[in-house]
Amino acid sequence: MSTLAIVVTLGSIVLAALLALLMIPVLVWLERRVAGLIQDRLGPNRTNVGGFRLGGVVQSFADVVKLVFKEEYYPSHIKSGKLLFTLAPTIMFVSALLAFMTIPFADNVNIAGESFRVQALPVDYGVLWFMAISSIGVIGILFGGWLSHNKYSLLGAQRAGSQLLGFELPLGLSVIAMVITYESVDFNVMVDYQSGVLFGFLPAWGVLIQPLAALIFIITMFAETNRAPFNVVEGESEIIAGHMTEFSAMKFAMYFMGEYIAMNTASAVIITMFFGGYQLPWLSTQDLFSNFSSVVVAIMVVMPIVIFFLIKWMKKNNSVRATLSSDGGRAFETKVLTIVLISMTALIELICLYLFTQSSDSLSATITITLLQIAIFVFKLMVFNIFFIIVRWTLPRFRYDQIQTLGWNYLLPLSLANIIITAIVVVGVN
Amino acid sequence: MLENSIFFILALFLVGGSIGMISFRQSVFSAISFLLAMIAMSGMFALLHFSFLFLAQILVSVGAVVVMSLLIIVSVNIKSENLPNDKLTLKRFTLSAILISPIVALLFYAINKTDLMFKEVNEEFGSLKLMGVDLFSNWALAFEIISILLLVALVGGIVISKRSSNYESR
Repeated sequence: MSTLAIVVTLGSIVLAALLALLMIPVLVWLERRVAGLIQDRLGPNRTNVGGFRLGGVVQSFADVVKLVFKEEYYPSHIKSGKLLFTLAPTIMFVSALLAFMTIPFADNVNIAGESFRVQALPVDYGVLWFMAISSIGVIGILFGGWLSHNKYSLLGAQRAGSQLLGFELPLGLSVIAMVITYESVDFNVMVDYQSGVLFGFLPAWGVLIQPLAALIFIITMFAETNRAPFNVVEGESEIIAGHMTEFSAMKFAMYFMGEYIAMNTASAVIITMFFGGYQLPWLSTQDLFSNFSSVVVAIMVVMPIVIFFLIKWMKKNNSVRATLSSDGGRAFETKVLTIVLISMTALIELICLYLFTQSSDSLSATITITLLQIAIFVFKLMVFNIFFIIVRWTLPRFRYDQIQTLGWNYLLPLSLANIIITAIVVVGVN
Repeated sequence: MLENSIFFILALFLVGGSIGMISFRQSVFSAISFLLAMIAMSGMFALLHFSFLFLAQILVSVGAVVVMSLLIIVSVNIKSENLPNDKLTLKRFTLSAILISPIVALLFYAINKTDLMFKEVNEEFGSLKLMGVDLFSNWALAFEIISILLLVALVGGIVISKRSSNYESR
């Protein structure tokens, strides 16, 4: 194994771990801020470390500290299976984390004649891996619900299990339709297919090729991650917190974080299968390489504009009412962040200038385009996470029987019909 | 060396899980033993580079069978005092040992007779692509018959569930 292979592999693993784990505090914060936005209030924005609020992200770290130092409480009626009771949240957390590992963050990197996958787990059966591993997660919920010896937990676990069974089939069938279209179970091949052009003017994204499969897939992903409007599993107005009722401190936090990782994984799979993954619309990796100097110029032009509006927005919003005497260090925070952002932009501009004038080797182009694709991936991931959050705070919870009817009577026949139509079209075109 | 040690760890989990599955009194512990055994089994397929069977094992055995049995355990919710009080006595153990001894002897004989030096397979063995080509070229008829059977069962399930919901609304 060469040094290069080790660097690329380690880089992918670290990136996947960061994107999955560091996303949790950001998503918890985003959830609360977006909820505030929708309900016309502010959400958490006071917690700070030395005056630095970062818009309230620090609140999530404070929450983690609180949960770590909370008392580990075990209900006294749990006689047997205490170990399994503690282990149950971990099953859900680990399965959600592992399911994220086959998502490609950039196109295959070709350096010195060798090709590397930018995936934490470089395998060519990404979709199957995702479906296999993500179905383990519900076992954690079922064990937790049963071992709590509590009627509410039991009901929550039962709902989780039957909801998963009802939506696993449409999920699998819509994935089969996409596999027929892309002729592969490899995420990277799917993204490659989507980098083309459809009908001459549309990007060949999965959502435009297969709108029905995309709709079914997104709905089933909401149900699989137990997010509203499919959160009957923990429906707090009916069964307290479902399977989480008897869990406290970090055991509860594991369930909580597992849900956010599952949401993050669902967003990643949706964008990889239906929204072009790490690619810019209309442009494939070949196009980016052949027009490398224009890509660099585009980065040089777009970057200062985005940063300018970001700083303007920050200066406008990171302030208090004029009647207050002290602003709690907000002006200082704005100043420091402005300097950091401007110097970061200047550094990137300098690097781009160097690339534009000096570069002719393929290594720097490969690194730049890989980083650009990672940035596009993270941007799309955030957009879809915010979509998940907005849907949660907009729609009311479905009733349990409505969910079952939707899964078995509508989504399943639709996805079956979709497979037949897809197969006919694919055979007809070939 | 590394492969051997991984194999022995997996084998330990597989045997332990299988014994636990039949010996635990509470059905939920049997279920987690079964889960352990199935994951260990898929790990063995992964060790053999048989990626198709590895994934199918997790998808079917863990994702469907274990979840289904757990769902039934949760739905029925048997309390431990309601379970039948049958203990593993020495008499039963001896009787069952005598009953299965011919099969054990047969297995022992078969393993002894087998030539344990297998020839190495090529790099592509067990990959999804080869598996698919094999299924659709050599076993196409059986594959299609099974898929039509499953499809009919699926559609029948939907039709039955739709009819019962009509009955309720009447």
